[in-house]
Amino acid sequence: MFEWVPALGGLSDRVLGPLIRGLHALGISPAQVTWAAFGASVVAAASIATGHVGPGLAFMALGQVLDGVDGGIARQFGLGSRAGQALDDILDRASEAVLFVAFVLAGLVSVKLAALAFAAILLLTTIAHRSKLDPGVKRFALYFGLWVPYPLLFQIIFLVNLAGYVVGLLIIDCQFQLRMDKLGGDLDTVASRAALLEAQGG
Amino acid sequence: MTIVTHILVTTLGAQAMELHGGELALAYAFGVGVDIDHAVKAPFYLRAIGFKNERDYYWRSSLQEPVALLWILPLCLFLGTLVPALFFIMHVALDYSVRFEKMPFYPYSRWVTRGWLVNVPDKVKEGVVLVIVVALNVALYWSRRGV
Repeated sequence: MFEWVPALGGLSDRVLGPLIRGLHALGISPAQVTWAAFGASVVAAASIATGHVGPGLAFMALGQVLDGVDGGIARQFGLGSRAGQALDDILDRASEAVLFVAFVLAGLVSVKLAALAFAAILLLTTIAHRSKLDPGVKRFALYFGLWVPYPLLFQIIFLVNLAGYVVGLLIIDCQFQLRMDKLGGDLDTVASRAALLEAQGG
Repeated sequence: MTIVTHILVTTLGAQAMELHGGELALAYAFGVGVDIDHAVKAPFYLRAIGFKNERDYYWRSSLQEPVALLWILPLCLFLGTLVPALFFIMHVALDYSVRFEKMPFYPYSRWVTRGWLVNVPDKVKEGVVLVIVVALNVALYWSRRGV
């Protein structure tokens, strides 16, 4: 959950420490917790879709706590893996998908806004591992629905994630520019040479 | 292409579509303003080249590559207008007629291209476009005002 914000990950590990250690002592793996977090999101979505927004948000919170716990177990006990990270990413996005659909079914937001917000989150996810930039405005923003209209929240989710995507692309471009500047030589061909080098893992 | 050409082409498009207010601002933002990424690259240029004039330096970023349509199209849907995408495509089309290297889909693909009409000298293409666009701008302006 906090892969791109290590400081928040450390804070989350401290707060959730007893739960992390308890679940690990019971032999529960990070992947199992990731699936449990997704399960909580599905229950949350079912509640919201049937008009029970309050309980739905409570289940969503449970899902987010578990989402913090899976990474905590992986970090504290050296169980992190690329496969686990990929599973976490996929189920995080799947959680947002079911929750956004639930808000549409409940009539709280239009299909267009929910789809745009989800598309922006997906775009950001495609580059976040390279740009290391993720504003973290996804499901979390939905808690503010107790005070702010949901259409406005979905607009905020869309715009923040889209802006994060644009800035993230620029960050990756700057990283590539540094690579090209370091490579030097004939500047007329430096992009193709740097691209080839990057493809070879250089 | 130079900033002057981008401004003239955007002005022509805006005149032709009779854009006003917010849509006019969007036209210039996506037809000309995307060149702002050169400001992002300026510190890199100064660090690598200094104050010398190095025409072949790689000034481009994904902000003015086709990959940007991934975020511009959702933005169009959000704003309810195709103006950003249309003027952005016009900007890219002009840039791709100049023969320097470009990476259309970076970071998703490392494919490098020099665009189209690579055998025609850049100065010729720039000159031809400039003359046509100035003529069309003037013609459109006069025709709209019944001169």
